[in-house]
Amino acid sequence: MRTSRRKFLQSASAALVGLSIKGGTGAIAGSFVNDSFQMGHQLRDRKNFLQPKQVVKRSAVIVGGGIAGLNAAWRLHKKGFTDFVLLEMNDQAGGNSRWGENEITAYPWAAHYVPVPGPKAIYLRELFEELGVLKNGQWEERYLCFTPQERLFLYGRWQDGIEPAIGLTAADRDQFRRLEGQIQKFRATGKFTVPMEQGLSDSTAELDQVSFADWLRSQRMDSHVLNWYMNYCCRDDYGATTSNTSAWAGIQYFASREPEEKGPLTWPEGNGWIVRRLLERLGNFVHTNHMVHKILQRGKGVTVLAGDTEYQAEFVIFAAPTFLAPYLIEGMAPLRDFEYSPWLTANLTLEHLPDSYGTDPAWDNVFMDSPALGYVDATHQSLRSHVDRTVWTFYWALAGGPPSENRQLLLNRDWKYWKDAILHDLERVHPEIRRCVSRIDIMRMGHAMARPRVGAIFSAERRSLAKAHGRILFANSDLSGFSIFEEAQYRGVTAADRLIHEVGG
Amino acid sequence: MLFITVLLIAACGLIYELIAGTLASYLLGDSVLQFSTIIGCYLFAMGIGSALSRYIDRGLAYRFIWIELLLGVIGGFSSALLFLAFAYTQGFQLLMYALVVVIGVLVGLEIPLLMRIIRGRYHFRDVVAHVLTFDYLGALGASLLFPILLVPYLGLVRSAMLFGMINVAVALWGTFLFANQLASVRVLRAFCVVVLCGLGVGLAQAKRITVAAEDNIYADEIIFARDTRYQHIVLTRFKDDIRLFLSSHLQFSSRDEYRYHEALIHPGLSAIPAPRHVLVLGGGDGLAVREILKYPQIESITLVDLDPEMTRLFSTHPMLTALNQKSFSSPRVRIINADAFPWVDSNADSFDFIVIDFPDPTNYSLGKLYTTAFYKAAARHLSAQGLMVVQSTSPMFARDSYWCIAETLTQAGLRTYPYHVYVPSFGEWGFVIAGYRDYQIPASVPKGLRFVNVDGLPALFQFPPDMSPLPMPPNRLNDQVLVRTYDQDWKDISH
Repeated sequence: MRTSRRKFLQSASAALVGLSIKGGTGAIAGSFVNDSFQMGHQLRDRKNFLQPKQVVKRSAVIVGGGIAGLNAAWRLHKKGFTDFVLLEMNDQAGGNSRWGENEITAYPWAAHYVPVPGPKAIYLRELFEELGVLKNGQWEERYLCFTPQERLFLYGRWQDGIEPAIGLTAADRDQFRRLEGQIQKFRATGKFTVPMEQGLSDSTAELDQVSFADWLRSQRMDSHVLNWYMNYCCRDDYGATTSNTSAWAGIQYFASREPEEKGPLTWPEGNGWIVRRLLERLGNFVHTNHMVHKILQRGKGVTVLAGDTEYQAEFVIFAAPTFLAPYLIEGMAPLRDFEYSPWLTANLTLEHLPDSYGTDPAWDNVFMDSPALGYVDATHQSLRSHVDRTVWTFYWALAGGPPSENRQLLLNRDWKYWKDAILHDLERVHPEIRRCVSRIDIMRMGHAMARPRVGAIFSAERRSLAKAHGRILFANSDLSGFSIFEEAQYRGVTAADRLIHEVGG
Repeated sequence: MLFITVLLIAACGLIYELIAGTLASYLLGDSVLQFSTIIGCYLFAMGIGSALSRYIDRGLAYRFIWIELLLGVIGGFSSALLFLAFAYTQGFQLLMYALVVVIGVLVGLEIPLLMRIIRGRYHFRDVVAHVLTFDYLGALGASLLFPILLVPYLGLVRSAMLFGMINVAVALWGTFLFANQLASVRVLRAFCVVVLCGLGVGLAQAKRITVAAEDNIYADEIIFARDTRYQHIVLTRFKDDIRLFLSSHLQFSSRDEYRYHEALIHPGLSAIPAPRHVLVLGGGDGLAVREILKYPQIESITLVDLDPEMTRLFSTHPMLTALNQKSFSSPRVRIINADAFPWVDSNADSFDFIVIDFPDPTNYSLGKLYTTAFYKAAARHLSAQGLMVVQSTSPMFARDSYWCIAETLTQAGLRTYPYHVYVPSFGEWGFVIAGYRDYQIPASVPKGLRFVNVDGLPALFQFPPDMSPLPMPPNRLNDQVLVRTYDQDWKDISH
């Protein structure tokens, strides 16, 4: 009794009287960062390119320094093939795994985790063994996401985990159970795998002909919470809603992974940690601020123009987003089957943490019925026991409606508009958030992720580009139909293997 | 302008009622009961006030101003008074309803009086319409202001004082509005200014009131209390018993802490052939260091504690340095204020004995310091003859947690030797000695110990059936079962 009364009065006095201690800290600073619209439009409009002044000869040129390109480089280097160069248009390699750092912590700009890889992801396991993430079959504890991993804000309170578990009706429960049963059956077929190419089978092609939303309807799954959760998962992994995601991709999200050991793998700077380790090994091969503007096939070679340099190579690994290829590669026909989702991410610097009302803040924090995807706490993976400042990465896939309209919206609205939109969303859960935040930097990505809309997975165009042999080998994750780390890594490694095969043969 | 007065006094009246209801809900629970009874009493008291208004027939303006002044004082200090009453007396509810009734009666008097004061200036139907309109408008404003701005930004104590000041301001304003109907305008104004100042001081000092209230929730006299960046440090004294509370968890009682600290140090340290370098993680009270200093062959003791205010307090406060025998002043002791896990992870020194004495794993932040990853990182610092000892909660009250910590040490690749001791102020308390080598119970311990002796040592390693080992999973960074287990263990005890 004494204890409860004491705690009670303490918390009551703190709550009632102490709430005004930290007043407003003034204006919130920030800007758009890492914009690449201008470069993209320069390529599209083909303006202001320099004439080559020097010629460099290499066996291979890798175009694009994201996860696919870096892993192609990693694979080539490991196989003893070192006569190559990697060209990245941005000033920082990493693509969707880029990161930032301030005096508080490193933080991700986009991709922030890798699910614990299953046994089929042999190339990824090999990479993780080399990086010390996997040792003697054991995942390094400090790279697995710390407890508590995820929480969901709904009905005015937090629950553990993102799948809604409180306030469910009997019908909701029944539908979740039936869906789980269906997923288990799909999983047992072995046709939904990571990487997807290994399991892909024509017997599942009809699932690619309907949207995930239609498929759920056909299964009599109309529960609001179930559909919210399915939509959330599609927005999170594909930047799309269930109605513009193919049912195959929706099922892939759940059926491709075993109910895993407690994961995922994550780091303060997200997958930027992996990029950093790769750059430590391969930095000499990587040239940033090198925008490729033309690729020409010439007899037995390929010419790559970047800045004022003409690279003469035998092979090109095209690891940049595939939609750029027709703008760069001379004579390439336009693509029809590739669609991309625009995204916005923001990093918020918090000078102090908002009240968590007795719950422990989690790594991934999601709000039900929010248009955005929630925020990830960059100091969650810190070993420290005491954190008083932090950085939150706020994720927002512009998933509903046509991507082109959303891209216009991204471009036309100013920083203040997006800043306020983000704060409005956070304020629903953290009313005092404006008094905690000192800075909001926002990154706009017009073509952040390939969108696996209806027909994308079994698209003949996608499959033929993915398998293409010859002088130009495609490697971007979008060749899997969707953009996730494991697919990018797999595409990069297998493109390198095809190149080595071509050279050897 | 007159009607603004109506609006303000209506708002004030409602705010006092809301404050009483909220405070009672917070402190007593059952918000439906609290709000219902308070609203009921309040409205009833207003009725009494209105009924009483007929007995006032002279000096209406004068009495109206006095009512405003009284409301300002009583209402303004109501919240602070209730707070202190909850902490110091058993009569919280009595006082609360008394206050509600008094305020209700006064508020009930306000409107009828005011209507009569201004009756001559307007048509009667206009008076009724305007006064009631502004009365209800004020109520709306107050009911919106209260949850959105007042509670979050000012808190209950200061909100009451702010609205008390508004009541007094209305009184002061009244002395100007009704100057022609008043005899002693100057005296009234002087009263208003004094009360206004009183409430202003109260508003500025509100924080002290809650500190004074807190004083009484600890059983004994508080001799020191400070909010540091990391925790809330409170020291209490009753006769010769000094107790330390960190964020309201008891850390030691000076009457029996020797049992805890002798048992923490000597079974392990005496078993090391030639200890020279010792690491203490946590232990900012210097009491473990006091025990370690009883070994003359030890050359260095490195103490890593998060909170510099804690180690400074135990280096300087005379009562506390008497307790730890000025252990922090020893030239052999080096104090480092750092977060333990990153420090252990980045430092490369080797130690013969490592003492891990952290607060119990009550949350996931502290839980990181009880994981396989942490124990592996700490064990990297062990010399060939090295051992470590871990404070491991109670094998009696938190049996699952205790054996979870032991299992975590085992899974970190260490051999473990669990033992326990009785500390009256804590109850049965548990420790685990761990190392890469075998541990043998020592054949000698330093002279002059009050609790640990060689003959008694083997018994510490015996666990009776009600504390015997349980199969538990290890605590890992990515699966902190310990925090949940510890929470459940204590819930089971207290229900």
